[in-house]
Amino acid sequence: MIFNSIPFFVFIALFFPLYFNLKGKARLVLCLAASYFFYGWWDYRFLSLIAFSTLIDYFVGLQLDKTEDAPARKKLLISSMVVNLGFLAFFKYFNFFIDSFQDMLLGMGYEGSMHSLGIILPVGISFYTFQSMSYTIDVFKKEIAVEKDFIRFATFISFFPQLVAGPIVRASDFLPQFQKDREFSWDRVTAGTGQIIWGFFKKVAVADSLAPFVDQCFAAPETFGSLHLLIGVIFYSFQIYCDFSGYSDIAIGLARIMGFDFPDNFKKPYFSRNYSEFWARWHISLSSWLRDYLYIPLGGNRGGTFASWFILVVFMVLTIFLTGWWWLAIIYLLGSVATYFYMKKSDYHHKNAYNYMNLMNTMLLGGLWHGASWAFVFWGFLHGSYQVVQRLCGPLWNNVLDTIKTPKFIKNALAMLLVYASTCFAWIFFRAPDFDIAGQVIVGIGSLEAFNFGAVINKFWVIKGVAVIGILLLVEVLDVQRPLWEAIQQRPVFRVVSFVLLLWAIAFFGSFGANSFIYFQF
Amino acid sequence: MKKLSWIFAVIALFFVGDRIAGWVLQQLTERSQFRYSRLYQQQAEADILLVGNSRGLIFYQPYIEEQTGKSTFNISYNGMPMDLARVLIEDYLDRYPAPKQMILDVTICDRENKALTTGYNMFVPYSPRMYDLLYYNDKNSAIASKFSHLYRYNSEIFQRSIFYLNKSDEDWLIDREINQSMVDGVNDFEMDTIGLIDSVFLHLNVAVKAAVQKGVDVKLVINPYYPAYAARMENLKDLKIRAEQATGLPVRDYSTAVKETKGFGDYQHLNKYGSKLFIDKMIKDGILK
Repeated sequence: MIFNSIPFFVFIALFFPLYFNLKGKARLVLCLAASYFFYGWWDYRFLSLIAFSTLIDYFVGLQLDKTEDAPARKKLLISSMVVNLGFLAFFKYFNFFIDSFQDMLLGMGYEGSMHSLGIILPVGISFYTFQSMSYTIDVFKKEIAVEKDFIRFATFISFFPQLVAGPIVRASDFLPQFQKDREFSWDRVTAGTGQIIWGFFKKVAVADSLAPFVDQCFAAPETFGSLHLLIGVIFYSFQIYCDFSGYSDIAIGLARIMGFDFPDNFKKPYFSRNYSEFWARWHISLSSWLRDYLYIPLGGNRGGTFASWFILVVFMVLTIFLTGWWWLAIIYLLGSVATYFYMKKSDYHHKNAYNYMNLMNTMLLGGLWHGASWAFVFWGFLHGSYQVVQRLCGPLWNNVLDTIKTPKFIKNALAMLLVYASTCFAWIFFRAPDFDIAGQVIVGIGSLEAFNFGAVINKFWVIKGVAVIGILLLVEVLDVQRPLWEAIQQRPVFRVVSFVLLLWAIAFFGSFGANSFIYFQF
Repeated sequence: MKKLSWIFAVIALFFVGDRIAGWVLQQLTERSQFRYSRLYQQQAEADILLVGNSRGLIFYQPYIEEQTGKSTFNISYNGMPMDLARVLIEDYLDRYPAPKQMILDVTICDRENKALTTGYNMFVPYSPRMYDLLYYNDKNSAIASKFSHLYRYNSEIFQRSIFYLNKSDEDWLIDREINQSMVDGVNDFEMDTIGLIDSVFLHLNVAVKAAVQKGVDVKLVINPYYPAYAARMENLKDLKIRAEQATGLPVRDYSTAVKETKGFGDYQHLNKYGSKLFIDKMIKDGILK
């Protein structure tokens, strides 16, 4: 079931009155049943996957609570990881590796005889798997208490507002909120409704309005001029932002009405002045998950471990063998030699090099988390590279700007532009169906052929796109200046007017084809 | 109770504003020179009615009028499907004296396009037929257009109405020359076959019958394609036969009538120069009188 569909509105209209009229266990059971119904509406067969993950992590949690024996605890953790990551690997990556292996054999002149399976990717598997794993890891590290109530635990894993596309809510944030019944509150209803309407505006009016133009650009880039393609890439940057953050807003708003507080998942990411800031504003629940469960355990910015090397080497070997891009070996070799000499310079450089490796590993795995394709891995590599380059060259860049006495606002604007432009460049690989198409888009833009508005096809889509992006940016800029939401919350009249303005904007600009959310595929 | 009154305030404000904004936009579109605004504002009386999809836009009206001395009205639109064209033709015939001629490019029957119908939401107040078609093609959209008047104007058609607020749309035609890479690559891509759908030809039959009954001289044609592209179209002949069977009228095939490369904007559309060549040919053949 997707939020922007009539069945969802019927579902929610039936759910909320029941939810607020029930108390205690009955309310939890309702939440759980509703969540399974919500997910099962898409494909009931995959309910068994969620149920199995839930059972495994519930019992592992209970066992972890019972034993203090370190090796036994480790075994329990590993068993949970194997099951969760096993499901993820099978459903999300099995075909990818089989197909890549097949291509590699073909490249070497052998006819492979393996067949990829007709595996359907269960919606949201990456989200609920990470949520479930974070619980087990936190219990293992004794950072949270074990949840002994099965219904409560199962509801935490399958909670329908954020089940299929996040935000990935940590057990430490979410489970304590189940301890007592959340009371009905008008303030929560209005705040939640506001966030839901804003989420719908982002999804229906912005993302879905931009989608046709973007789809056309990436379907046959060779047929369009330079400006047309550039607009397509810019539109995609807003499409994916509004599609995903719109979902998060609706999820957070629904949870807020129900009495739960979820952390923000997006904080105006395109206003970032550096790449670290970008990742602190974009898909925050995933980036913080990767930070806490991957980057820091690898050593973070304090240094490195064997795993820092190992993951990187595995990525290098796999990309060379499975893509058949042998020339990569030379680049990797040169990179490794450069890293070796860099590390030899001093302890400071040694520590830095590990930090860069950890960053790169985190971004590569983050890329792979998004989907089983080399394009996503390359997208992660680009973001990893941006962060490494920023750390290497950032001080020099700042010194140059300070030397020529650049005013602060110009410095910020330049930094924002640079981060936005390079993020857009990376989005090309994220969106393009393959590297050839991505290359055509880049070459097409770089050629500067037909770089005039007259050569842009479907100008009416462009006008509508610019209008909705304009509204989005206006609201975000106002919100940066003074937290708009606070002002809206304080004055009921302001709240009514803002709701109505957004509803009008949705009616006037919205695209109502019940288009699925992009992040469902991840 | 006070809280509930705020909910009512949101609902009331939404509907009041929606109706006022809808009324303002309606006033704007009624003043537009865009073809459909003129159709529903009694400003479209013509001797020759021109019908097609984007390929129907190559009927370059100023040149036809100059050469024939007759007035024209073109109801063509990008991606126009036959069911929508049928509604527009019937609405035209209901509102105006019958035109002397109707020239219809039958390649309009090459597809269905239910999504485009929603763009014509804004004409629902003037045409019960349009509402019926919208309801049939997209029930949710039809209901939404009753619920919100602003929603009616959520379309490219509305944007075009604003664009043509103070100017004519009669020279809406590609004014570029097909590029060399397209010319060179004409054999390099996979061609789709035309989907021949029964219901589409049924709409063609109804529209043609309605015009003939009013005494209109209906001419069915296939507008020109880039010749090398036309040669690759597998079932264009089948489309012609189906159109003839559906209407009982002959279809004049001009698919390869324009040979000059510089007469094309792309594979499927003539440019202004090509359009003039095509119109000259139709006049010479007695199709356009």
